[in-house]
Amino acid sequence: MKKIISLLTVLALLFSLTACGSKEAAPAESSTPAETQTASETATSEEAANILKVQIEVEVASMDPQIATDGTSFEVMGAVTEGLYSVDAAGSPILAMAESVDKSEDGMSYTFHLRDANWSNGTPVTANDFVYAWKRLVDPATASEYSFIAEIAGIKNAAAIISGDVPVDELGAVAEDDKTLVVTLDFPVSYFESLMSFNSFFPVNEAFFTEKGDLFGTSPDTILANGPFKISAYEPAATTIELVKNEDYWDADAVKLDGIEYQVIKEAQQTMLAYQNGDIDVATLAGEQVEQFKADPEFHNIMAGYLWYISPNQTVAGLENVNLRKAIALSYDKAAIANNILKDGSIVADFAVPTLLAAGPDGKDYRETADTYLATDKAKALEYFNTAKAELGVDEFSYTLIVEDTESAQNVAQFIQSEIQTTLPGMTITIETMPKKNRVERMQEGDFELGLTRWGPDYADPMTYLDMWITDSPNNYGFWSNAEYDSIIQSAKNGELALDLIARWEGLKKAEKIVMDEAVILPVYQKGNAVMIKGNVTGIEFHSVGINRIYKNAVKN
Amino acid sequence: MKKYLLKRVLISIATLLVILVILFLMLEFMPGSPFNDEKLTTAQVELLNAKYGLDKPVFIRFFNYVKNMLSGDFGVSYTISKNTPISTLLLSRLPISVTIGGQAVLLGTVVGLILGIIAALKHNTIWDTLTTIISVIGVSLPSYVFALALSYSLGYKLEWFPLLYSNKAPFDSSILPTISLSMFTIASIARFTRTEMIEVMGSDYIQLAESKGISGIHLIVRHQLRNALIPIITVLAPLIVGLMTGSLVIEKIFSIPGIGSLLVTAIQSNDYNVIIAIAFIYSAMYIGIMLVVDILYGIIDPRIRLAKEESHE
Amino acid sequence: MNNTAAEEPMIFLENDFEFVSQENRSHIDETYTSQSYWKDVSKRFFRNKGAVVGLICIILIVFMAIVGLDLNDYAFDEQTITHQNLPPRIPGIENLGIFDGSETMNTSTGVVNRNKYIAEDGSVTGLEDVYYWFGTDVLGRDIFTRTWMGTRISLYISLVAVLVDMVFGLSYGLISGYFGGKVDNAMQRFAEVLNGIPNLVVVTLLIIVLKPGLMTITFSLMITGWIGMSRIARAQMLKLKQQEFVLASRTLGARDFFIIFKEILPNIFGQIITNTMFSIPTAIFTEAFLAFIGLGVPVPMASLGLLISDAFKSFTTHPYMIIPPVVVLAILMLSFNMLADGIRDAFDPKMKEM
Repeated sequence: MKKIISLLTVLALLFSLTACGSKEAAPAESSTPAETQTASETATSEEAANILKVQIEVEVASMDPQIATDGTSFEVMGAVTEGLYSVDAAGSPILAMAESVDKSEDGMSYTFHLRDANWSNGTPVTANDFVYAWKRLVDPATASEYSFIAEIAGIKNAAAIISGDVPVDELGAVAEDDKTLVVTLDFPVSYFESLMSFNSFFPVNEAFFTEKGDLFGTSPDTILANGPFKISAYEPAATTIELVKNEDYWDADAVKLDGIEYQVIKEAQQTMLAYQNGDIDVATLAGEQVEQFKADPEFHNIMAGYLWYISPNQTVAGLENVNLRKAIALSYDKAAIANNILKDGSIVADFAVPTLLAAGPDGKDYRETADTYLATDKAKALEYFNTAKAELGVDEFSYTLIVEDTESAQNVAQFIQSEIQTTLPGMTITIETMPKKNRVERMQEGDFELGLTRWGPDYADPMTYLDMWITDSPNNYGFWSNAEYDSIIQSAKNGELALDLIARWEGLKKAEKIVMDEAVILPVYQKGNAVMIKGNVTGIEFHSVGINRIYKNAVKN
Repeated sequence: MKKYLLKRVLISIATLLVILVILFLMLEFMPGSPFNDEKLTTAQVELLNAKYGLDKPVFIRFFNYVKNMLSGDFGVSYTISKNTPISTLLLSRLPISVTIGGQAVLLGTVVGLILGIIAALKHNTIWDTLTTIISVIGVSLPSYVFALALSYSLGYKLEWFPLLYSNKAPFDSSILPTISLSMFTIASIARFTRTEMIEVMGSDYIQLAESKGISGIHLIVRHQLRNALIPIITVLAPLIVGLMTGSLVIEKIFSIPGIGSLLVTAIQSNDYNVIIAIAFIYSAMYIGIMLVVDILYGIIDPRIRLAKEESHE
Repeated sequence: MNNTAAEEPMIFLENDFEFVSQENRSHIDETYTSQSYWKDVSKRFFRNKGAVVGLICIILIVFMAIVGLDLNDYAFDEQTITHQNLPPRIPGIENLGIFDGSETMNTSTGVVNRNKYIAEDGSVTGLEDVYYWFGTDVLGRDIFTRTWMGTRISLYISLVAVLVDMVFGLSYGLISGYFGGKVDNAMQRFAEVLNGIPNLVVVTLLIIVLKPGLMTITFSLMITGWIGMSRIARAQMLKLKQQEFVLASRTLGARDFFIIFKEILPNIFGQIITNTMFSIPTAIFTEAFLAFIGLGVPVPMASLGLLISDAFKSFTTHPYMIIPPVVVLAILMLSFNMLADGIRDAFDPKMKEM
């Protein structure tokens, strides 16, 4: 019985603690040792001045340039590291770590002269840092998910090294001396310079990497910076990441911010409450919130690169019929999806290659000179449907649409379901939702009928999309095959067309026409982002390819 | 008693091992490999599988896993934080979840007890009705609704507490999550205490104590609450476990870097090792709490200990 | 032996007897008409106001879940994209200034008061004669119809889960408790192991492993729910199996299963029903929780949990969307809890004076 009494005493004691706790905790905390106090004071005064606070929706997956694969990681890494090139506000490549470049006439070799720049630990950035990083990228032992990008860039022997046929040392990137990097290509690549601004080609200091070993990229001590900012607080899968201005950066005078604070917030409501409270400066809106904020001068629509489309599996009975595919493609109101459901600045997609992705040899955006296809037309959809019914000899169709479990994807899917069923009587659509990973696997294994999927561009060329639909591509979910299409793509990659930029551009347009005429994919929309940026913040550069947000020139007054 | 204790501990350890097997087998049937990113080629997936030993037969992987786990190595995360040892990932997160959970249990129990006692003492008055309403709301609304209502009112409108968790002010910023999390506990404990107290208050020995002239706080604490408390300890264990699951939602809403939010992310990205590690930690905590409650209960009430020993014999 | 007294006859006199006074009258036993167990239980139950109110609410909600879908012309999955995000508007009541389809929105540029049905500048919106009693959701679906559809699904999931729990958990507990010894030990260890895995982990993993859908959710709830029931059944069995009536039955040659299901089961019915009533709200709650972490019923189907978590996403923008499902959920939970309390007290009369 004594024990019960002692238990009760403990309970009572704890209660008195909690009761007082809420009142006393605040002063108790500020009266902790003097260092913390001054630290937090300087922090608050800085916050008021020049720390940009940015909301991100997911955690950073990796700070290792050759391992990272997601947009958030790219963004944070892009703020602390610079490659040979960076991109300007318009998305054109500008020199960064490279001070000058000599291109060979045939576009098969580049000689980069590096500028005098240092890593944040004082060691200079050398040509060897690039060679080392790139060899890591293509080395099969690294198992980098983005190793294919070296192949896309055409770096000599990259493809053979990735498949394990040639030793890593044969890579066409050589450090002639500390400041001279010579890159040889297998075939000319028109967008090579813009590719060089991509994270996978960021340099890694070999000595530092070897010293840190497995811990590389897991804490401020194990991450080197050569970019506008350096990391001051980070841990794996952190919900807050702090960056401070890198005073040793070669262009430090141009950097106006004193630092950036990233805050992971997954719940959209909480994001906006925090934004309105002034806890964050840059936030992404979701769903219906757009309606609440769209009149605000701080509201911005930013075009993103993602193309959302339905992939029909052509090995499924009925879907091999082009008229049935076209009937589905034309049956849903894309404008309503973009304007009434998403409302975030997304646009109708009547194409397979998104807008603002790449500029052609004429300097114009690809979409400006290319045609559009498969625009919504419910009457025509019904015609196609009737033709398909006659051809297939079937009156009733029933398909399952697999969708990932995000709010917007589910809403769009439900709308499409209802539209198809209304426009095409006799067609039944069932929706199955699952995490994205599962959807991707189901589609790769061909275990699906219709799949609502998306693709984000890896580099600024239509090829980043068109390459998906060649025969046997792992992303050719529909198992479509067309010899003419394959030959155009092959030639545009490293054959005849690769040598003539104008002919190549026309070839790509022709390839897109084939894909669309055959309704290999049923495009839905190109994603836009609704972003809130505080009025005193300017100069954040948004991009739909590569690093999505660049803060080097951002200013917060 | 010693024999009983030893037996309970052994059973707990055995349970934990069986759980490990079940978890491992369950993950075998999970669709999707951790590496099925769209950009990977088949050859690369095979390479990655080989790199992480996923190409080995199931039982070898299992024994490797158990072996590593006994030396404190939970493997590496595949997707959430690439190539990071899970122990590193959990080390900073576990204390945060445990702290917030602990605060919620404490707040929930204390407030719940007080509400329950008031309701029982002022039985059939407006106070009783009021506490009943509070406890009914507490068990009837999902915790995320509370979380949102609290952040909107106390966090955003009144600006009393921070909206988001911050490791610079861990206590201040954990107030809202703690309250949202403890609502269910408060409600359950209050209901339970009320019923138990009323039952105890009607019992013969309390009437005897009253007739002997014992009254006031002394009567409530020494005679009524003490006897009402015994059954309450049993409901506390499942409630604590309920808090763990509740924390998944709360941690997501308040951006708390705890293990609950990590588990949701891990499940959605098929991060096998992280799922096993966290599910295992949850199970271990659960079994630990059950064990402690069982032992506590035995100490408080010898009848139960004896009964349990008999039933196990 | 004294025989003399018996031989002399005794003569009673008038004053030999006196009426006892009122104060001295001894207690007279009242005779009650005998009533059956069930009659007794139901009498006690109906005396409990809370429980009766709970029961009525549940009946009402079940009724609405059955007929509510047909009370207006909208289907639960019918989308009219031009009718999206319309606030509640009810004919008749709208003249009182409430439920008139107007909405106040706190935008960052100030408070906007507007009515999407009737334009203030007199222009035609095409919605003048349109009424959505509870408003519409982000896809222009009628929240009234969806709420009752959601209620139907939530009730269905929880009822099926709980019924299976009851049957399985009950048999498990009874058998385990009755046979005791090695059987009991093995069965209890198994239940303990299963119980050692947190529910949430089991449910989420199962839903991911199996195909997502109504059946999977029901199945996952079943898997984790029966243990509580089996424990109660086992405890009751341990208590009852030593009693005389069991011994009597056994002596008369009854087989084990006859004793378990015919002799003991009826005696623990009260406990079982009470526990079932308490499990239903837990099942509804778990379903709501699953919906929130994205593992709910497949769209466009609706459950209360799914409706709440969907409306939750636009809570600060269109708060009216979350109210109907939350209110129904809360009333349902409350009613089941009160009903369960009432049933428990009715079966277990030791607290009836309280």
